[in-house]
Amino acid sequence: TVSGTVTDKANAMPLPGVNVLVKGTSRGASTDFDGNYTLEVNQGEIIVISYVGYKTQEITYTGQSTIDVVLEEDAAQLDEVVLIGYGSTTKQDATGAVEKVGDEDFNRGAIVAPQQLIAGKAAGVRITTGGGAAGEGGEIRIRGGASLGSNFGATNDPLIVIDGLPIDQRGGAQGSRNALNAINPADIEDFVVLKDASATAIYGSRASNGVILITTKKGSANQPFKVEYGLQASTRTVTNTVDVLNASQFRQVVTDNGGDVASLGNANTDWQDQIYTTGVGAIHNITVSKGYERFNFRVNLNHVSQEGPLNDLYERTGINTSFVHRFLNNDLKLTLVTKAIQDEYDYANEGAIGAAVAFDPTQSVFDENGNYTQYGTSANLAPANPLFLLDNNNYNSRQTIKRVISNFNIDYKFWFLRDLRFNLNAGIDYAENNGYQFSAANPNNSGAVPTNEVSSGLNRNTSLDFYLNYKKDIESINTLVDITAGHAFQEFYIKSFVDRVSATTLTDTDINRNALESYFARASFDIADKYLISASFRRDGSSRFSEDNRWGSFPGVSVGWKLMNESFMENSFFSNLKLRAGWGVTGQQEIGQNYGYLGVYTPSRNNAANIQFGTLPNGDPIFFQTLRPEGFDENLKWEETTQYNVALDFGFFNNRLTGTVDAYYRETEDLLSRVPVPAGANLTDLLITNVGEATSRGIEFSLNGIIAQKENFGWDTNFNLTFQDVEITKLSLSDDPNFTLPTGGISGGVGNQIQILRPGYDPTTFFVFRQVYDDNGNPIAGSYVDVNGDNQITEADRQPYKKATPDAFIGFTNNFRYRNFDLNFTFRGSFGNYVYNNVASDRGNVNAVVNQPGYQANAHSSFLSTNFTNQELFSDLYIQRADFVRLDNISLGYTIPFSKMTLRTSLTATNVFVITEYDGLDPEISNGIENNFYPRTRDIVLGLNFTF
Amino acid sequence: LFVQSCADRLDLQPEDERLTGDAAFEDPEAYKQFLAKIYAGISLSGQEGPAGSPDLAGLDEGFSNYLRLYWKMQELTTDEALIAWNDGTIQDLHAQVWTSGNEFIRTMYSRLMYQVALCNEFLRQTTDGKLDGRGVSQELRAEIQTFRAEARFMRALTYWHAMDLFANPPFITEDDPIGAFLPPQIQREDLFNYVEEELLDIVDDMAAPRSNEYGRADRAAAWMLLAKIYLNAEVYTGNSRYADVITYTNNIIGAGYSIPDIPYFHSFLADNDSNGAQDEVIFTIPFDGLRTQAFGGMTFLTHAPVGGSMNPAEFGINGGWFGIRTTPTFVEQFPGEENSADGRELLYTDGQNKDIMSVATFTDGYAVAKYRNVDVNGNPGSDTTGDHTDIDFPMFRLADAYLMYAEAVLRGGGGSVSTAVDYINELRVRAYGDTSGNISQADLTLDFIIDERSRELYWEAHRRTDLIRFDQFSDNGVWQWKGGVQSGTTTESFRDVMPLPATDLGINNNLEQNPGY
Repeated sequence: TVSGTVTDKANAMPLPGVNVLVKGTSRGASTDFDGNYTLEVNQGEIIVISYVGYKTQEITYTGQSTIDVVLEEDAAQLDEVVLIGYGSTTKQDATGAVEKVGDEDFNRGAIVAPQQLIAGKAAGVRITTGGGAAGEGGEIRIRGGASLGSNFGATNDPLIVIDGLPIDQRGGAQGSRNALNAINPADIEDFVVLKDASATAIYGSRASNGVILITTKKGSANQPFKVEYGLQASTRTVTNTVDVLNASQFRQVVTDNGGDVASLGNANTDWQDQIYTTGVGAIHNITVSKGYERFNFRVNLNHVSQEGPLNDLYERTGINTSFVHRFLNNDLKLTLVTKAIQDEYDYANEGAIGAAVAFDPTQSVFDENGNYTQYGTSANLAPANPLFLLDNNNYNSRQTIKRVISNFNIDYKFWFLRDLRFNLNAGIDYAENNGYQFSAANPNNSGAVPTNEVSSGLNRNTSLDFYLNYKKDIESINTLVDITAGHAFQEFYIKSFVDRVSATTLTDTDINRNALESYFARASFDIADKYLISASFRRDGSSRFSEDNRWGSFPGVSVGWKLMNESFMENSFFSNLKLRAGWGVTGQQEIGQNYGYLGVYTPSRNNAANIQFGTLPNGDPIFFQTLRPEGFDENLKWEETTQYNVALDFGFFNNRLTGTVDAYYRETEDLLSRVPVPAGANLTDLLITNVGEATSRGIEFSLNGIIAQKENFGWDTNFNLTFQDVEITKLSLSDDPNFTLPTGGISGGVGNQIQILRPGYDPTTFFVFRQVYDDNGNPIAGSYVDVNGDNQITEADRQPYKKATPDAFIGFTNNFRYRNFDLNFTFRGSFGNYVYNNVASDRGNVNAVVNQPGYQANAHSSFLSTNFTNQELFSDLYIQRADFVRLDNISLGYTIPFSKMTLRTSLTATNVFVITEYDGLDPEISNGIENNFYPRTRDIVLGLNFTF
Repeated sequence: LFVQSCADRLDLQPEDERLTGDAAFEDPEAYKQFLAKIYAGISLSGQEGPAGSPDLAGLDEGFSNYLRLYWKMQELTTDEALIAWNDGTIQDLHAQVWTSGNEFIRTMYSRLMYQVALCNEFLRQTTDGKLDGRGVSQELRAEIQTFRAEARFMRALTYWHAMDLFANPPFITEDDPIGAFLPPQIQREDLFNYVEEELLDIVDDMAAPRSNEYGRADRAAAWMLLAKIYLNAEVYTGNSRYADVITYTNNIIGAGYSIPDIPYFHSFLADNDSNGAQDEVIFTIPFDGLRTQAFGGMTFLTHAPVGGSMNPAEFGINGGWFGIRTTPTFVEQFPGEENSADGRELLYTDGQNKDIMSVATFTDGYAVAKYRNVDVNGNPGSDTTGDHTDIDFPMFRLADAYLMYAEAVLRGGGGSVSTAVDYINELRVRAYGDTSGNISQADLTLDFIIDERSRELYWEAHRRTDLIRFDQFSDNGVWQWKGGVQSGTTTESFRDVMPLPATDLGINNNLEQNPGY
């Protein structure tokens, strides 16, 4: 038996809760409040003393009665292992732009979508939620994206790899708001974000927009049996609604403008107040884990129920298991990780959002007969009563997704050459979805019929990869050599079935299969613990391209110089200093479609797309289905992105203050974009083809500080700041510098678009008329700057103006600990981004009220200041600065250490406030067009965590 | 072995209803289905009715419909029609201030060239070599020869539209590849010669007049198209061809078509394929409320003009779209205006103002009740939801041939003035229900012809071409809101030709913009 005290080297204070284990056994103890421990130990055994944030120590027991240990802080945890794709490195040896966000850094709250965990946590990574719906996800952009996005060409979404299995970039499951919801946030150990091409090139043709490696929790060896139960109970409420006229203002507008006064009601209904309710939610997690010497497991059961403010519902039931077994003296390690999830979405009719903005506020919800008030059948283009739309009898839409994500890993060290390792990953991601949607007939149209739709689908992603890794410290040349080479094959199969019965029917099955085959290799050298060099190469083949263009090569090289280890750095001000530089080429091919290089024929998809040829003797027409040849580009190929990265990692004060500055420059060539084909040259007007070029650049700062690290008080902080700039440099084969593609569809007339793609501009640039104002600063309706001076205002006078993507964004997190209390909060901010207020531009005018086809609808309050009669859709008046700083979440916790268990209670508020000049609903809209946006909610979350 | 099998697994072909070229044509029906696609190119907008799987992606699918766009080009730019909506640059059409960025003009152009590309692909897929390779039966091959003639007719029709609207469009035939090449530009006069040669070359391969299946083109359709290009030859080439107009209108008139003895408005009802109206129709674009659905075409032409106090039930539809009306200039073509004895005056005036103070206000301007989805007894069409209509669009009809004959006579093409007067009076008897509206030889002037064409053929997509031929479209002729001002003003004559879209100029550097743009 041995006992002792563990203290902190920095201040000689005792450290409570330090793990003291006998290596290779399940015997262990942890220190008490005074840092004391007692442990059964035998002669010759090794005692491992470890504590988060400190360097682990090992001491061999040789019969001492007392072993006091002094632990040294290891703030930056430079020897922390970081995954890099088909292998790992350590933080100190990483040469690419790689950032790890661990569970202790995650955002707090009743988080359902895994991407929310790291919002604001990593420089260069921007996560924008899609609104307040139940189960909503979020758009992830790493370094702004190198492609044009899925509306135009290849996706800007990063590749996500879960425990070694690359997930389909299209999500992996149909019928879901956010396919990543399949991963239980409580199971995630960490995210590793690979940002630059030298880091991502090993993922080749899917890596241009960054790679996120998600590792789930697996328990560890020699760990006592542990049971955890977590509950998060939450409420969700809308924080803001669209500003529309109230009933008396509306009455006034109708009266003043010769509207139909007789149709006005006597009520004063705030339709938006009517439709939004408080949603409640609960997340349960039960986890058991235990580690033996050769075997450890972790099993998690979870259930999520989340209501959105429109009474939509998301439910998830999941079981996640991981089993790790080590054989042959730990030379063979088998890992099986399986997640089985059932997701259920009960979607609300989001048409109610726009209907609530537009519906006549003088009408009551119900008429005198107790029916929903409607405009009536002389106005079949009018909005339906918003509450009618939400009523379950009138709209019912559910999707159930059953999904299994499983990965089996074999890791084997060869007995004859123990530096050689074989690693094999066999993974499957299989999802089935079933759903239906019923929507009632338009109540304003007596002839309308309801719609009944049944849908189902299957997504199957099978992956097999293996590699050999040789890692050896060759002392003769003072070099650590790490060489990997492998092969991967992955196939995606997607089947979608729909059976829709309405005025027309559609029964259709689509099948899409595509596959990728890859060879990859990487060699890394660490010379004298000072000079790092790493080179990787991947060769990818894609079924999406013809044999001539099928294969692409994606190299990456990076170097690092651990200045800190140079003799001249001894006694320096720095506690860490490393210079890194990287270059790499990556590809992109996720364009959604599979047979773009083949000319295929599509028959009529339903019998409402037939044409009459001839007449039967009885006079009945004879109908023929049609057969359409599709456009194709036989030369379709990879999009290629070349990226350069330079960076400095630094640390001060014994690495209590650490930071990184990364700067990158990126060029994309053969950009895949859906562009107009030369008229007549193909069997379509727009075709996805390799046409453009884009460049982007950025600087990312990240600072981590441990400000206080006392027994009773701790404070650490993270600040990250990103500057970025994306510009299209070429968009057509002809090099026309003014070539413009309209984008950014808006409402208020069909086919209107507010943004452009044009060389020299950001891909989210707005394209508007410059509004003319009178002496009092009021806009003059229809009066715009005649840019080309032809005395007419035509679309030739529209100008590129501002953009939706920010120039800079920040994240700022603080974690405080005082005795058993903890407090943390995260701010996010965004600067230089603009939003087009489409609700205001569409509805902020008299005609929105009195010149509608057969009805009167409400106007946006902006009308009160503009006094516009008509829509002025393209006025720059509606492009508004949308810089913001948001307190994303704040959480206060209290931990009660009972003798047999620990209870942590916490109270969290999310989306607490937003500071912004933007006067619309929300400044944070991913495409920069605010139009019937599902409002973000504020969640209040009570959390309870029991650990036994 | 593993590596080999993986590489094979990168050779993937569609596994659903889509088929690659040769596989598609294993079914003998595929040839006729492909031909059906070419005809459907005018009426439908994609492979799913009424919308879904669109042919063109550059504009809202409903808007991208061929007939809808062609109608807008021919009518919204003139005194016959204007529209209240706020869709993109649509108001620029009536105001005649369009630019090369106009998406309606752009999509019309894309639609025309897409239609040509479809026809070319059909011709490429039905060469002797291809048919030999696929072992097509002799019987089917004979039929395919007629299909080929019809595909070339449809291509000539579309090239005529392109020649008329854009003058100098890109030019592609079945000899060009698909994909990475830039089509050359053809000059209007050369395109005229090409269309003429094509039509003359296929006319004998076309089915005899009135012998083909309903909905398909026959020899008379080809004659009509020849007559059309000859009538406008002076605009297209600078050289008049009026004698040829007489020749081909005579061919048509002698082919057994007749002006039916039924009221004028019956020709635009849901049962106009069977109520007798079909007797005068030379080339029809059939629609069906259940089987041929699109938000362009007749669905648009029936819903968009209904609004204000008009009762949708009388139009056989579920509601109006509060869009299209007409100008006072058109109203004034009819003696007695909205109270005219001329039965072709189908104006709706209740709650409508004759003058147009605001383009965006549906009730400014008289409404037009020409296309109605009810049969002669007032029963609604087959689509009980009231969305889609059964009305077939009469692209070419005998009345037009009569008026063309009369105009060619007046313009010195030969023929007989008295015959011309007889033809006109045949139309006027139908219009008035008796001979009270008949004209004499003295009344038959070119001024009369342009007005009579409007009275007879309004909203049938002829007006712009007619006004240009009579030099009344741009720098002459004024109607409300032309030029973007309420009283109307003339515009510059370069607007007789539409601009080539800026996007295509940006891609295809073989193209030169039309003058003035």
